[in-house]
Amino acid sequence: MRQLLRRLSMLFHRSRFNADLEEEMRLHLELREQQQVAAGLSPGQAHREARRRFGNNAVLRERSFAAWGWNWLESFVQDTLYGLRSMLRSPGLTCVALLSLALGIGANTAIFSFLDAIVLRSLPVKAPGQLVILGDGDEDGVTDRYGSTTLYSYPFFSQLRSKNAVFSEVATVLSFNGEAHGTIDHRDQMEIISPDLVSGTFFSTLGVEPAVGRLFTADDDTTEGAHPVAVISYAFWQTALTGAPDVLNHTVKFADTTFTIIGVAPPGFFGITVGHAPDLWIPMAMMNSLPAHYNGYKDNFYQSNHIFGRLKSGVTHAQAEAEINVLYQQITRGFPDARLNDYNLSHLQQAHVAITSIATGTAGLRHQFSDPLKLLMGVTALVLLIACANIANLLLARSTARAREFAVRQALGAQRLRLVRQLLTESLILALIGGLLGIAFAVAADRILLRMISGGPDADLIPIDVSLNLPLLGFSVAITVGTAVLFGLVPALRASQVEVTGALKDGRSSTNAATRNVLGKVLIVAQVSISFVLAVASVLFLRSLVNLTHVDTGFPRNGVMLVNMDSSVLGLKGADPRMIAMFSQIEDRVVAMPGVHGAGFAAFTFHQGSWNTSINIPGTAYNDAVNIKHNVISNGYFNTMQIPLLAGRIFGPQDTATSQKVIILSESMVRDLFPAGVNPIGRHIYIGKDPDPRNDVEVVGVVKDVKFGNLQEHRQYIDYVPNPQHPWGYGTLAVRYTGDFNTVSKDVQNTIHSINRGLTINRVTTLDRVIERSITNQTLVAQLSTFFALLAVFLSAIGIYGLMSYLVSRRTNEIGIRMALGAARASVGWMIMREIVLLVVSGIALGGALTLATNQLVQSLLYGLKPTEPLSLVLAIVALLAIALPAAWLPARRASRVSPMEALRYE
Amino acid sequence: MAVRSISVKPNDIPPGSLSLLILNTLSRHGEMHGYEIAESILHTSGDVLQVEEGSLYPALQRLLVQGWVSAEWGTTAGNRRARYYRLTAAGRKQLAAGLSHFHRIYGAITAVLQPA
Repeated sequence: MRQLLRRLSMLFHRSRFNADLEEEMRLHLELREQQQVAAGLSPGQAHREARRRFGNNAVLRERSFAAWGWNWLESFVQDTLYGLRSMLRSPGLTCVALLSLALGIGANTAIFSFLDAIVLRSLPVKAPGQLVILGDGDEDGVTDRYGSTTLYSYPFFSQLRSKNAVFSEVATVLSFNGEAHGTIDHRDQMEIISPDLVSGTFFSTLGVEPAVGRLFTADDDTTEGAHPVAVISYAFWQTALTGAPDVLNHTVKFADTTFTIIGVAPPGFFGITVGHAPDLWIPMAMMNSLPAHYNGYKDNFYQSNHIFGRLKSGVTHAQAEAEINVLYQQITRGFPDARLNDYNLSHLQQAHVAITSIATGTAGLRHQFSDPLKLLMGVTALVLLIACANIANLLLARSTARAREFAVRQALGAQRLRLVRQLLTESLILALIGGLLGIAFAVAADRILLRMISGGPDADLIPIDVSLNLPLLGFSVAITVGTAVLFGLVPALRASQVEVTGALKDGRSSTNAATRNVLGKVLIVAQVSISFVLAVASVLFLRSLVNLTHVDTGFPRNGVMLVNMDSSVLGLKGADPRMIAMFSQIEDRVVAMPGVHGAGFAAFTFHQGSWNTSINIPGTAYNDAVNIKHNVISNGYFNTMQIPLLAGRIFGPQDTATSQKVIILSESMVRDLFPAGVNPIGRHIYIGKDPDPRNDVEVVGVVKDVKFGNLQEHRQYIDYVPNPQHPWGYGTLAVRYTGDFNTVSKDVQNTIHSINRGLTINRVTTLDRVIERSITNQTLVAQLSTFFALLAVFLSAIGIYGLMSYLVSRRTNEIGIRMALGAARASVGWMIMREIVLLVVSGIALGGALTLATNQLVQSLLYGLKPTEPLSLVLAIVALLAIALPAAWLPARRASRVSPMEALRYE
Repeated sequence: MAVRSISVKPNDIPPGSLSLLILNTLSRHGEMHGYEIAESILHTSGDVLQVEEGSLYPALQRLLVQGWVSAEWGTTAGNRRARYYRLTAAGRKQLAAGLSHFHRIYGAITAVLQPA
């Protein structure tokens, strides 16, 4: 250790070291000289004798320096400087190399940072590997279905917690925590705050420590409504409360309840769902105090929660699963209000609770993005490979040009290893600079990507952390060094294998030219085939995107404004006549506004979730596997959305809370679920399984099918009920309008506020934006794969151009002779072209084979077409040829323009 | 790169023993500068050990790196600036180890070379 320090200090005082050594040696020589003079020699003789006895000054100094073990550093510095100089000597080549490397490494780093954040990274909690969730955590909402294995009631959780022996601690979280309007302290304006409802054991199960104050204990969650306390996220503390040090004196008020902030969660903590970062956490016992007034705290079958636990050490997944399944049956059947009829029992018997690790969190975003990200990771890796091939090719070309230099150096006694090291150092410098540029590029690209993933410039950013971190930098460094070795090693070995005498005799035709050509050609074929695979993929994704944008949604997409509001802040129940009246008043007033052609409320507009149950159609066999999506709408909804009525009537003022309950069905429901040839109008059906008179509704109309959740879905069974008969605290008003969006939007908001000042409007957007955002995934894949495919083809074109230019320059002499002997320009051009066309065609053939072999990978991301469709292949071939052939043609044309005299004289 | 000049002279010292000579000289005389060390080795050996004088300096650097000697600038009797070397504790230990190793090997060689 001390030795290392001495060595380092020597390195930093290099000039003093030299001066000291110099002085010491001079003293020695002078003293010896004096001694010799004293012994009787003449001054001149004494001087020579002293020198002779001392030895070679320069060598001794070098050996003294070598004693400190810094030789390698010195030669590294030499190599580096030499490398930099030779890079600067061909700035064009260096720029192309750096740019392609920067894009290649940057793209890989950027995509990896998302893959890491969404798919790979472990939760920022204690020992995340011990955490498991009951079921798969991949479902949210409320269900009263027997045999639910992902959603559980709070009473179930309480019993599981006390009875199980496999978890050291268990916690639960409400599955559908959404946004709510709340007031911080006594501010004038309500703000959108996202609270998560969790059990008192939530934080202790995850094993996190508070940044400030305390976190929940089981006591905070034992008595319903007793503990209005909240733990806020670190980010919320920093932004909404501007990091106030007295954070524990602040409050957040939801509906009528003021919650005291008792603590701040540690920075970066977000719970268990990646991409969902709540502002604060509230004990489950307070669920009824939130604006939505959830009623499930004591309801044995209000199954709305995810349950997760920390496995005791030594307990395996299998053991835990076995015990949980025993408890599951015992607890569910043991509830006094369990309806254990044959139907429910058969569902319970079939239920099996699977246990899933949540070391990296619950699915959430991963579900949506893991496939596209893995695909893009593959694509960017291929692009990087192409860039490497390019640089290898460029370096090969250059090392051939430098054959003479290497020959001279070898002749002067340089070792081969030293030359290889020199060349590897050069490629490492290239890669490192490229890597640094790439990281800078990745940082910028991450922001753009986050925007794209979040759904566009007007969307809220998804809260995931994609900033640079250690694993990420490690990844970048690894690929940087990897690429350096990949593109540097072969040219280096090849270049140092110079046959000295041959190369010295003639720098222009060294003996390894033939092998170098083969290697270069192999690289070109590889590039072309990879580019082709990427080009096919991008054509597929683009066409898939086009298909999606032309899907028939069942309603015109344009000209509909969606006004999102939060009616829960009014503190009224949906069934309150004042609420019902307010909604119809808003609808009437908005529809009368200039520029507005229709206005209507709906519980769900496109891509907003759903409320679904089975239905019971008397006269047909009950099938609980058929799920119907129900929508609660206002009278003006169909007109606004321009969904055509096919039979019967739409809702009107005659449909009130007290009149006969009515329903409108979608056409495929009638076609598939009703007996053939029966007129559905006037028939009665039941919402849900039981033929309970309260669920009885009369069919009054049939409308056309529409897309409901997303564009890719198959025909959906949807029915519609009027708001007065099934009151719903609406969130969305759809407005069909013409004219300027901003003007109409402002007018609509003013009108709404003139009716009720307290109603808060979250955001106003348009239907086509919502539709666009629903295919973020496909857009992302299509845009990025197209970008990368273009990049790949462009890089390949550079490679082809480079190889062609090289071939031409090598054959200048031959061309000159041919032309002197009377060859036509065109035939000379073709002679050169023939070679490259052959390479490109074999590349395409190889790429075609690769495409066919790998097309299953992309099938799941395509819509409305098969990966093997010939049109896509043809388009990709055309695109590739259109770029590759001109790249080859330019040097060929130059070759055909060669003047024979000039060519011959040159040699 | 360092170019090694290997010269075989009749009175060359065996390779590797130069360090030992320096360490022992310093242990005997305390503080010395380079020239004094060279002179001391020369005289003590009765002019037999003709060190290539300059090779003392790389050897001294090696000893410095190992921490067996320390160096300090001082003034000679003739009022010249000179770097004085002295043995460190670690150097003393190394000298003892080196000496015992040398005597063992030397004794063995002498035994083998006994005239029959």
